[in-house]
This record gives sequence, C-alpha cells and structure tokens, in this order.
Amino acid sequence: MSVEVVELTPIERDAFAEIANMGVARAATSLRQMLGEQVLLSVPAVHIVTREVAAELVERDNSSKLVAVQQSFEGPFSGRALLIFPEAQSLELVRSIVGADQSLEDVIDLEQEALAETGNVILNACLATIANVLRKSMRMSLPTIIRGDGATLFAQPLGGGNLVLFLYIDFTIKSRGMRGFIALLMDLPSIAALKEIVQDFIEKVER
Amino acid sequence: MSTGEPTLDLTSVFDALNVGIIILDRQSRVVIWNDWIAHVARKTSASVRGTKFFDIFPELQATRLPLVIEEAFEIGSSSVLTHSLNKLLPLRDETEREVLHNVIVRPLAFGAVQHCLLQVDDVTLAVTRERVLRERQNARYHAIVDSAPDAIITVNLDLSIQWLNATAAHVLGYAPAELMGRTIDVILENKNDLTASFLDALHSSGQGGNALPIVGRRKDGALIPFEMSVARWKADDRTFMTTIWRDVTERMLAEKALRDSEALLRRTNSELETRVEERTREREAALAQLYESQKLETIGQLTGGVAHDFNNLLSVILGSLSLLKKRLPPDPRATRLIDGAIQGAERGATLTKRLLAFARRQELKLEAIELQSLIPDMVDFLRQSVGPGVEIAVDIADDVAPIMIDANQLELALMNLAVNARDAMPQGGLLTIAGRNATTDRSKLPINIPRGEYVRLTVADTGDGMDEATRAKAMEPFFTTKGIGKGTGLGLSMVHGLTAQSGGAMDIASEVGKGTVITLWLPRATEADVMRSLPMAEAVVETTPRPALRILLVDDDVLVSMNTANMLIDLGHDVLEAHSGVHALRMLESEGAFDAVITDYAMPGMNGLELATKITTGHPQMLVILATGYAELPTESSFAFPRLSKPYTQEQLAEALKRGTELN
Repeated sequence: MSVEVVELTPIERDAFAEIANMGVARAATSLRQMLGEQVLLSVPAVHIVTREVAAELVERDNSSKLVAVQQSFEGPFSGRALLIFPEAQSLELVRSIVGADQSLEDVIDLEQEALAETGNVILNACLATIANVLRKSMRMSLPTIIRGDGATLFAQPLGGGNLVLFLYIDFTIKSRGMRGFIALLMDLPSIAALKEIVQDFIEKVER
Repeated sequence: MSTGEPTLDLTSVFDALNVGIIILDRQSRVVIWNDWIAHVARKTSASVRGTKFFDIFPELQATRLPLVIEEAFEIGSSSVLTHSLNKLLPLRDETEREVLHNVIVRPLAFGAVQHCLLQVDDVTLAVTRERVLRERQNARYHAIVDSAPDAIITVNLDLSIQWLNATAAHVLGYAPAELMGRTIDVILENKNDLTASFLDALHSSGQGGNALPIVGRRKDGALIPFEMSVARWKADDRTFMTTIWRDVTERMLAEKALRDSEALLRRTNSELETRVEERTREREAALAQLYESQKLETIGQLTGGVAHDFNNLLSVILGSLSLLKKRLPPDPRATRLIDGAIQGAERGATLTKRLLAFARRQELKLEAIELQSLIPDMVDFLRQSVGPGVEIAVDIADDVAPIMIDANQLELALMNLAVNARDAMPQGGLLTIAGRNATTDRSKLPINIPRGEYVRLTVADTGDGMDEATRAKAMEPFFTTKGIGKGTGLGLSMVHGLTAQSGGAMDIASEVGKGTVITLWLPRATEADVMRSLPMAEAVVETTPRPALRILLVDDDVLVSMNTANMLIDLGHDVLEAHSGVHALRMLESEGAFDAVITDYAMPGMNGLELATKITTGHPQMLVILATGYAELPTESSFAFPRLSKPYTQEQLAEALKRGTELN
C-alpha cells in the first residue's frame, strides 16, 4: 500500500491519525444528532499515496460506481476533502438519515440534498477539528456531489500535485454495514505545509 | 457616503435578489434582512434589525443552526441545512403555504469584522416539480402495469412478493394486500421450476430468456397454466425479479380443441375410407351377383331353346312309339323293345322338363300352398329317398304364411335338395327343413329380389359343405360334384329356376366340414290367391266313349303335326292339318264345321294364342286347345283356354279333348 513519496514519520502519522479521529468523533456527534441513533466512525489508517493508488483503494471491494461529497478548503494548506462511498449505498445512507417512514420514492427525491448535507456535516467536522487542533483558520466551500469511478473522483487537477492524503474511515451505521472513506487531496506544498504544522503541533504537545 | 459618483447601495442589491439573505454579526444579531425574507417570514427588516437571530426564531435553538453559525465564525466552514433533514424557518408564501427551503451558512469577512451569511433558498418549486413528475410518471406506469392483461409480480431474492399488479391478484383470487410479503410459492404448484428460472435470469444478462411454462395455484386451489418470463433488475444493492405471467388456459384449450378436431377428422376420414371400402365391396358383390344371375339367365335362354326343340322331337318319338305299340301284334319281345324306347324317350322328356324348369320356362300351376301341411305330407317320401342314415327334422313355424307356388314343382325341388343333402352326408347326418316368415328388412333379403313379404324355407344338412368356388357355380346347369353318371347337374338349377320363376330367390350358404344351408325365399300368397286356390269340385271323369270329333290341328312343325294327327286318328277322330295361323283360319272358313282346334303356341307369324283368340271371336263355341312346351303364355290368358303340356302322350291328348268338350 505504501507508494508514499512524501514519507510521514511514524510519529507524524500517529499524530495525524489522532487529529483525524478527533474530527471524525465530532462528525459522529453531528451525525448522531441527525440520525437519532448511534453512529460509529473510526479512522484505521492514514497514508499519503498517488492519485492512482487512491483510486484503486476506493474501488477495492466495491463496484467502480462511486459517489462523493466534495468540499474545497483554503488556508495554510489547501485542497479538497472528499467523502466517498459506493453509489449503491447512497440511498441506504439517506434512508437511514431521513428515517424509515419515508417511502423509497421520497428518499430518491431527497437523495441529492440529504447526501450533500450529510457529507457537509462529516467533512466540516473533520476539517474544523483539524483547523481547531492546529490552531489555523480555513475557509471551506459548499459541498458538491460527484459520481463516477475512482479515477474520476481524483481526476480534477489540483496545482499539479499528484498526492493524496488518504484517510480511511469506516462508517458503521446501525446494523447496516456501510463503509466509506474520507480523502484529503492536497498538492505537494500543502502536504509539506501540513507536515510542518503537524510537526509544530507535536513539538508543542511534547513540550 | 456623498458627492457626485453614485455609490452602489448593497442593501438595494440584496432586496433585489430572489433569495433570502440574512447577515448576522458575531453576536448573531441581524445586520441585513432583505425583502425576500421579510416577505416570507412576515417580518420587516426594520422590526428585526439589531435583534438576535435566535430571539426572532427561538425554536431554531434546537437545530444545528447555532452550531453551524458558530463554526462559520470560529473555523470558517460553510454548511448546508436542507429541508429534508432539518426543521428550519417558519416561512409562508402569499397563499399561506409553507415555503420549503434550504439554508446555506457561510462566513463573511469584511475586513476584521466577522459576519455570517444565511442564504435561504426556496426549493418548493423544485420539490413540487419532482413530485408532480413522479406522480405523472407513476400514473403512466400504473396505467400500463395495472391494465396489463398479464399478471406482473415483483419479488426480491428471497422470493417474497414485493409488488404485484391488479391482474395478478385478480387472476390468482387474492386481495393484493394478502400477497404482499408472502413467498411466491404460495401461488405456484411447483416452486422448483421457478427457482431454476430465477437462477437462469441471475446468471444471464438480466432478461430471463424464453417464457417458462409454469402452473399457478389460485387461492381456491385451482391450478392455472401460465407462461412466465422473468426480468432481473437492481435498485442500489437490492436485486429484484419481475415476473410476468401470461394465462395460457385459453390457448391450451384451443390447442386441445384443435388436436381433438384433428383427431376427429382423422377418425372421420378413416371411417369414411372404411365405409367407401365397405360400399365398394358391397358393390363388387352386387356386380358379381348380377353377373351370376345374368350368366344363369343366358344359360337359361340357351338351354330353354334347346330343350324346346328336343321336347318337340321327343313328342314325336313318344307319340309314334305309343301308336306303333298299339298296332303291333302282341309279341312280347317287340313290346319290350318298344317299352324300352318309350322309357328312354320319357327320360329324355323328364330331362328337358328340368332344363325348362331351370330356364324358368316350365308350365307352372301357381297356387296358394301351406307349408305346414305340404312338408309333413312329403316327409315319408323324402325319408325313403334319403335312406335310413339321414335323420329328417321338420321345423315349420305355425304362423308361416301361405306361399304362391307350383306344389308339384316345389316337391320336386325339395326332393332334389334332399338327395343333394344325402349325397353330402355319406356317413349319415341331420337334414333340417325349416320355414319362417321372412323379415322385410332389406339387408336380410338377397339383393336380387324386390322388397316384400316372403317365407324363408331352409334345407340344411350337416354334411361336407362346399368351398367358395363350388358354391359359386352350384346353380349352373350341368355343374355337378357327383361322380360321372351319378348326377345330372340340373338339381340346383331346377330349384333356382323354380324360385326365380315364382318371384322368389335362392341362396346357398356353406362351410367346408360343417354343412350347407339352402334358403328359398318364396313370395307369400295374397288373400285373393288363397281364395282362388280353394279346391273346387273335381269334374267327374266320364268313362263313356266320346263320339268322333272333327278336329283342326295347327302346328308349324310338320313332324309334330303328323304325330299328333296320328294319335287323334287313332282315337277315332277326324283330323285336318294346318301349318300356320293364317292357314288354319282359312280352313275354318273353307272346310266346313270343326268340333275342336288344337294349336301349337310357338309358331312364326301368328302364335297359338292369337289364333285361338281370333277363332273364338268368329266361333265363340269352338273348343280351342293350346299346346305349349313351356311357360310362354302371358299370365292373364292362362285360364282362357285349355292347355296341353308338350310333350304329351295319347292319353293326355285324349284327356284334354274330353275335358274341353265337357266344359263346352
């Protein structure tokens, strides 16, 4: 799995995983508010990989039909954040959020909006936590929805950078075994900036 | 802001937007509240400016709004709150309908001063449009699916019914709700068929190839044949099977009806063929029978002609011999020779009589006869003829009707049949003579006699029987199975001729080793026949010698004429001969008075009957005797003139003259 060009040191990786976990925990809180039921989110791994590897990763164990909620962010480090899951699960996700009393057809009508809002909540929580923890402010755009295979999701040019900071998040919603990913796409300078910031954070914490 | 150049008034820009704009400061106080939001929230900009947002809408404290506004200020995040997941602002349009809306929350930075933008988007139209579109589409879909003549049932992978159309419920006798969620096997006779088909559909491209014949089970248990097609489809992660069931009862009935009618047609065809074959056989049999009877007819004519001529010759021989015998001195040796000649000639006469009988030209004395008395009377005689080895059984039903026949000839016929039967039973056996009234049913009558009332007289033996070839020829004259010199071959011919001449028919049934049954179909006598045949008082035969008569003898055959003349002269009469009718009439006029005329019947030119009729016209009291060799006289004249059967002896000639003169 490691085609990492920019290496994260073990300690950096642990630190970033920790920060991500905090963000995801906050997202879970928001989701729980929305769903009215227990939502478990976890971040098992943090990697820096190429777009190609990232595309492969999100398609693994899934069909190549994916749906993603995307938000871009600007600040000390810039890029795009994506919440990705198999398209087939998107209706199930929406249904579990809007409630079982809605008919399937209503759910279809609501899908796009509900998906955008759900993604927005999760991504905002993550990004906000990262910004908070790192004590940096960011501006985040509104969510948009992208459908396609892994290559499509990661295709948009982004300042020539080819690397992806890849957070691997497991969703577990109720008994529905839904799994999704969160990916942060950043160009090399942004990743370098992020590394630096994380390094500072680690030093402060250790001090 | 002053002076010449007009400044862009942002407030008026916000008011011009067709979207709700609310801008809050760091303390969540309203800074901007545009016309659009003022309109749908029913709160003017003036009334809310400076007021804390959550004081205006306290109920929104419980939503995610406070959090996302806080995040916008703190972190700079943008958020979307949709109507689908959130209860948002209480907004209504002019018609008091709820305005469906999403709220976008974004941070605004005007220099160092931080603000937060709440953009309120009206999505009522979009939501409504989607709903209308969906309903319209659904209406179209339901119109098609619910009016489909086929049952349409959608199941998921565990075969539970997810959806069904009205036809499905109707055809299977359920209410739609009853079937929802139940597994499909409740409406199938055999679930396995379907499972196989589903598996096929799963592995194929999704369209379940050919229609599958299945048997559906109605709620009431009745089984219905269907043809089912399966289509597989997926909605997200779920796989569904939509099955379309076509009721093929009617088609199967039609196919069965077709098969039945084809079978019927085939059967009818073969019956027709059988009937044609039957008819052909019947026709061939009829033709064969016709051919047989034509053959017998031809032989009969030939035989009749020959026999007639022989008869005349035998008359001459017999007549001459009997006269010669009288004239010769009593010499026993000469007498024996003459007697031998006379016997030979008489046998010849008997033979020609039989030939004439076969040719149906014998003289028949038709009268009403009762078999009940005739048969028993002759049994003793028959017994002597057949000998002790053959037992004779007589079975004449009491109700057997009288028949119209010549009694002597019938006896002769029975005698012939009895002798034949005896010869067929050299080891002895049983001879049965039976009589029954015959049914008028056409099918049971021999085909060559007209429909009518008959008496069936059967003579059955238990002898050797005949094979078919023999049976077919048995009635032909001179056909015999007996050894040379033993039979004349005229016995059955005579019987055949007699029955035919009497208006009946004869039939032979025989089986080798079992015996032969001869059936005579004899016409019944009418009431009138019976009356006519009542025995009349026999004329007393006078023995006193009669005075000599002057007789005109008419015959075209000089030899016969001469012979008869000799016999008459011998009897003491005076005879003049004429050799044609015309000649005779002339002589009657020129030769003075005659006491009697004896005329042959068969003569060229004027025949005997015509002559006799003419004579009686001029001479009503004249005795005219008709001499005939066979039954050639028309029946209506049978009794008009006394008859003399050829060949005749001198005694017969004398008797005929005596009777005639007595009657006159």
